[in-house]
Amino acid sequence: MKTIQEIQADIVEEFAVFTDWMDKYEYLIELGKSMPLIEEKDKTESNLIRGCQSRVWLSCREEDGHLYFAADSDAIITKGIISLLLKVYDGQTPEAILAADEGFIEQIGLKENLSPTRANGLVSMIQTIKGYAAAWRVGAKAPGQPSAEGEQAAAKNELEADIVVALRQVYDPEIPVNIYDLGLIYDIQADADGQVFIKMTLTAPNCPIADDVVAQVREAVQDVPGVKDVQVELVFEPEWTTDRMSEEAKLELGML
Amino acid sequence: MDVRRIFPALDRQIYGKPLIYFDNAATAQRPQAVLDLQQRLCVEACGNVHRAVHKLGADATDYYEAGREAARSYLHAPARENIVITSGTTASINLAATCFCQRFVRKGDRILISEAEHHSNIVPWQLACERHGATLEVLPVDELGEIAVESLDQRLRKAEGRIKLVAITHISNVLGVVNPVEEVIAVAHKYDVPVLLDGAQGIVHEQVDVQALDCDFYAFSGHKVYAPTGVGILYGKKRWLEAMPPYMGGGEMIESVSFEKTTYAPLPLKFEAGTPNFVAAACLAPALETARLLAEDPALQENQRTMRDYLLEELPRIEGLRIYGLPRDPARKIPLISFAVEGAFPSDLAQILDKMGIAVRTGHMCAEPLLHRYGQTSLLRASLAPYNTLAECESFVTALHRAVQMLR
Ligand SMILES: Cc1ncc(COP(=O)(O)O)c(C=O)c1O
Repeated sequence: MKTIQEIQADIVEEFAVFTDWMDKYEYLIELGKSMPLIEEKDKTESNLIRGCQSRVWLSCREEDGHLYFAADSDAIITKGIISLLLKVYDGQTPEAILAADEGFIEQIGLKENLSPTRANGLVSMIQTIKGYAAAWRVGAKAPGQPSAEGEQAAAKNELEADIVVALRQVYDPEIPVNIYDLGLIYDIQADADGQVFIKMTLTAPNCPIADDVVAQVREAVQDVPGVKDVQVELVFEPEWTTDRMSEEAKLELGML
Repeated sequence: MDVRRIFPALDRQIYGKPLIYFDNAATAQRPQAVLDLQQRLCVEACGNVHRAVHKLGADATDYYEAGREAARSYLHAPARENIVITSGTTASINLAATCFCQRFVRKGDRILISEAEHHSNIVPWQLACERHGATLEVLPVDELGEIAVESLDQRLRKAEGRIKLVAITHISNVLGVVNPVEEVIAVAHKYDVPVLLDGAQGIVHEQVDVQALDCDFYAFSGHKVYAPTGVGILYGKKRWLEAMPPYMGGGEMIESVSFEKTTYAPLPLKFEAGTPNFVAAACLAPALETARLLAEDPALQENQRTMRDYLLEELPRIEGLRIYGLPRDPARKIPLISFAVEGAFPSDLAQILDKMGIAVRTGHMCAEPLLHRYGQTSLLRASLAPYNTLAECESFVTALHRAVQMLR
């Protein structure tokens, strides 16, 4: 299988032949039309990424350590760009996806589509893809045992991956990094009946907004389709340290 | 009048194609007179308004107040005290909603808006209602885009005084339909209910006389009537503005300050805390003068009707195209046309049109509830100004045919 860089280089080369905008769009439209769609049953509210221009749906499935995505959008050019992105990400490992950058989009002259102001859902889609990758990252600790190296609780099934994606939307009000990447989630257990157990901590034991954060976690997880009941246990043993933060979180906070 | 010459931006090329600017309802282009004044003030009168003794500050104040006077005169408002300078329609409505509700709205009361409102005339009321335990009530629009004005009387009667204010758009930014605001105001006043008009689009297309209309509040933005961004107006009847508490606290809005008690400046400065965007405010004078010239030029007005009628006739020739906002009385339609095309998503069309040099608006257009009512998540809007031409409309229609074909 080709690496992400190789696939991106191929796409850049493919686009080099287009000298005219209309040709470029014709091509994207073709791609958009031929992209395998997300299954209708997966076009759920929770797989929906809203932009003010168009909507994007995205679902993710894991097989033998590789991630596979399906997506759709009501805008066909957006869909064309999604299909380029999926060409790049589909079947890759979580680590490779997390390490990838999307510079090739700029190289093929579609940068404006990825600017946050385009509000077409693409930017959030990439964030969601990376969220899934973070959830499935291998080498995370075994379930139930926070590892000494301070890695995050990793997903063991698709429901848990969806839960991680939801948890990555919850923020400690004082730190601009989501609670999952901060390493506050020690354990996630989700069984086939939708019973979910989450063990988590906070950055400080006397955190005044502890109740708020726990309530937010419960709410976020409760909204994940397939989840019936959520139990959140707040523990302060083992104690949280900055070692538990993900690389991205450390980068975000200027610690690297 | 050679209208194209006074708007230098119209000469631009976009991706090597002549610009066709059809997003005027979002922001209009600025005439040379506005650009000149803007530049001149930054050089000659960059001093703080209402504070300084020195020449620069005094000149800045004069220009600022001249902007206010231009707005007063354009709206036919009785006095300077009625004209609060804000940063735009959104700021004007937030001010009105916050301060009016603070004074007049209690638990169980209601504010009536229409289904065709811009988010700027929904959310400020929602926030204010939340603060006071009040609720929003919504007057529906029909398939054609007309509000259910006939139900207003009964609604107000049944409300038995619980509806404290009606906030409604003069012209919807999606439907382009001039609402029967005279009737709304007359009916509301029968029940002593004040009316706020969101005039963001109305100011551009109608001759607004707030005294003849007898509205209680009128809000608009400078940047849609050829002024720079960052200035807007809230017209209010004195009886309301006087009764309402101040909005923001700070400099300018005070008479005297001590730690025990602060007294407020008289109208309109009571609502103008802090240093305003006085350059933009001053530019209201040349901008509204331009608006007046354009509105009084019969050829340009005829041109607007011609362009509107042309588009209303030509666009439906595209298979699967549906226009939203077709009032029973065609004279109530402004040259602003929103539509959806089956099998061609708006943002796709707009991206392709952009590359042909054509600027249009797409998306929910800050009116999600209205789009929802028509079962849409996104529309494409072409909104015209007097400086647009029939030739541009023809190019637009041709380009649209091509874009639709590419997408199908
Ligand atoms: C009807 C209507 N109301 C309110 C607004 C908000 O105006 P602004 O963004 O200038 O405050 C707009 C403009 O987008 C509008 O068209």
